[in-house]
Amino acid sequence: MSVLARFVARRCLQALPLLLVVSMLVFLLIHAAPGGPLAIYLANPNVRPADIERLRRALGLDRPLWQQYWTWLWAFAHGDWGYSFSDGRPVAVRIVERLPATLELVAVSLTCALALTMPAGILAAVRRGGWFDRAVAIASGAGVSLPAFWFGLLLQMIFAVGLGWLPSSGRTTPGGGDVVDHVQHLLLPTTVLAIVLASGWSRYLRGSMLETLAQPFIVSVRARGLSASRVVLRHALRNALGPLIALVTVDAALLVSGAVVTESVFAWPGLGSLFTEALARRDYTVLMALLMLSAAAVVAFNVVADFAHALVDPRVPVS
Amino acid sequence: MRRAPHESLVAAVALGAVAVVAVSSACAKRASAGRPSNDLLIVGYDREPDTLNRFSTHILEDIPSCIVEGLTTTDEQMRVVPLLASEVPTIENGGVRLRDDGGMDVVWKLRPGVQWHDGTPFTSADVRFTVDAINSPDYNPESTDGFDRISSVDTPDALTAVVHYKEIYAPYDIQFIRGALPKHILQGRDIDHAQDYNRNPLGTGPYHVADWKSGEYILLERTAHYWRGDGYPRIRRLLFKFIPNTNTRINQLKNGEVHLVALAPWDKYREIAAIPSIVVARTRGNAYEHVTLNERQFPPFADVRVRRALISALDRERYTQTILDGLAPVADGPVQPVSWAYTDRIARHSFDPGKARALLDEAGWKPGADGIRVHDGKRLAFTLITQAGYAIRESMAQAIERQLRDVGVDVTVELHDGTALSAIWFEGRFDAMLHWWQMPSDPELTTFFASDRTPPAGRNINYFHDDALTRLLYASDRTVDRPQRKALLERAQAIIADAVPEIPLYSVTRLDAVPAALANFKGNPTNTGIFWNVHEWDIK
Repeated sequence: MSVLARFVARRCLQALPLLLVVSMLVFLLIHAAPGGPLAIYLANPNVRPADIERLRRALGLDRPLWQQYWTWLWAFAHGDWGYSFSDGRPVAVRIVERLPATLELVAVSLTCALALTMPAGILAAVRRGGWFDRAVAIASGAGVSLPAFWFGLLLQMIFAVGLGWLPSSGRTTPGGGDVVDHVQHLLLPTTVLAIVLASGWSRYLRGSMLETLAQPFIVSVRARGLSASRVVLRHALRNALGPLIALVTVDAALLVSGAVVTESVFAWPGLGSLFTEALARRDYTVLMALLMLSAAAVVAFNVVADFAHALVDPRVPVS
Repeated sequence: MRRAPHESLVAAVALGAVAVVAVSSACAKRASAGRPSNDLLIVGYDREPDTLNRFSTHILEDIPSCIVEGLTTTDEQMRVVPLLASEVPTIENGGVRLRDDGGMDVVWKLRPGVQWHDGTPFTSADVRFTVDAINSPDYNPESTDGFDRISSVDTPDALTAVVHYKEIYAPYDIQFIRGALPKHILQGRDIDHAQDYNRNPLGTGPYHVADWKSGEYILLERTAHYWRGDGYPRIRRLLFKFIPNTNTRINQLKNGEVHLVALAPWDKYREIAAIPSIVVARTRGNAYEHVTLNERQFPPFADVRVRRALISALDRERYTQTILDGLAPVADGPVQPVSWAYTDRIARHSFDPGKARALLDEAGWKPGADGIRVHDGKRLAFTLITQAGYAIRESMAQAIERQLRDVGVDVTVELHDGTALSAIWFEGRFDAMLHWWQMPSDPELTTFFASDRTPPAGRNINYFHDDALTRLLYASDRTVDRPQRKALLERAQAIIADAVPEIPLYSVTRLDAVPAALANFKGNPTNTGIFWNVHEWDIK
């Protein structure tokens, strides 16, 4: 077995008890939240106490909590994610149908955010104190401070309502859906996510770059007559990427489980929207699956981060 | 020549900018969303239905009501009118027979020539199958109300279903308002998990599901050979888009991406009314906003003088003119003017803070050092809970808090999310609650006010006890003759208005933003929704 395979296997084994503890905590937390899957029926005066009791039994909510947890855990461990309490469909089906939208949004947003972060962070560090550095500082400060929902609505008002250039929300035009239509729908939510992410990341990269550029080995490579670009991109940047990689992977893991606010503002049919719906309905089975998916994503992306870190900095061992 | 690193980066950024400009140019050419037409009407909704099986949910009946028709429906004035039945059974037309054993028989005559969308005739066997399925332990519909009082259904012929009730059931005329389940599709199946039906129900209505993209939209298309004739429905496709964010929904309405927003929020009324292509239809609702006073949790509410003082301390007329922008009238009781059972011959409590103070004095609540009234060492202080994120309610709660403080009552407002709020009230863990009841189209008040219908047996969350009222309400439920029942309900309304078990605030008006070009839109005050007459909608 290669070093790589052993590393992945070990990390997976280490993750199992963690995921088990997470599942217990999450299960307790969502059941402790006031209201439950039956709360929605209480508003209907035609739903009588006998109906509530019947529905409670049908959903298995009349059993002790530990029994409910054990039943869920056993089934989950065997690949059965159960049925959604709200629409009766398999949870796995509900998640799989929403996953592509989230992956698409996350992939494009992360790419755009990195495309903004790298030049902004590097140039701000190289030109420390200059106009570009100050401009990036102001822009990233604004980006970090802007609430995503407000920023999203602002972009909608300008580009969808005011100028009429872009659709205000959704993933495609119903019944339409060519590539241009797809890109048009992606532009606004992607812009919001990319700018918000890049605002934070660029500050980290700048700081990390400044720290690295002040290291003695940079003086040494400069003294060897290497070009400025080689010094910055090959030597300084590789050493400075460590903190950024950690940050990007954590953000990516959280986004994969759903960019809740952005998806809600732009009616993006991804996991974030599904989470919002499930939370409002206290759809326990869907919530459990999404939260476990989120926890697994954090574990997986941490493994990816370790690899990426080792890739850009050979001093960091994979093991 | 070697470039400095920042030059390369600037070049990369410039390249990116060019790409963005190129895409933007393409976007600039984007044709604006089409105007509403008889080819396509786009409707914006705040949520997606869980299922289109009308017996499994009461949420968002608009979409299923375009597909599955009931034997009856309610019109814009909440009158029960026949749909798949040829007439509404009554005692007068011989459709309702009261039996000597205390039960009743209802004869449903079905409209001839009606077919399910797959061409199978709609018959009395479907009605019987529906009753059997709902009463079966193998299916979990949302409500079995009324169905559980049916002992059997006879089907003497394909177009006649005789429903035998074990006891008299006054709302029999809306028993099948949610339609019927197709026997030939669902017999012997697990209906809870019959996703082919639940997501694409077979109906007799003007539309069928053409596409359902989860999280995005449901597209309905006109069915061929609709029973009303080939001229109906006039609009070929209805597209229901799910847009949870209110601001986004309104933005879509402004730029024409949606043409109709059902249940428009009141705090957006002026913004929506300013859109030239839109008309805001106002429908008097069958719901009323009120403050529930939980006598069990906060015993001072058990004193009628305190309850009358509270209602007299609130300037409800001013609330409707300011917070509600004049959109809704003051309500004086649980039965709204749109209901046939409504009466205005009841006590009205006008704004009179002097009277409120006098009543509280009389009840022994005297002003303390801080102005808050005290009785037997206890302060007249309670918590008012209501729904978070509901601008109108939050403003209303603040106004109530302010005006009650003026007469020496200390109110603390607490906000909860809607789901949490349901659990709190069901368990009776609150002092007072600001909320509304969407009342059934049948004016059954028993579940809300009968002494024995406190949770979990009902929705008497005031925990109000009045034996005379309880007797009247149960008598009303067992009365089919409408004039007799109206008389009973009028007496019940008079008792409720006099005793003030809760503080009615305003009668809810339903707002729907509809295209100005839409003809024959009538609205509907009930949960049946606005699409009950969609077959005759016409875009001019």
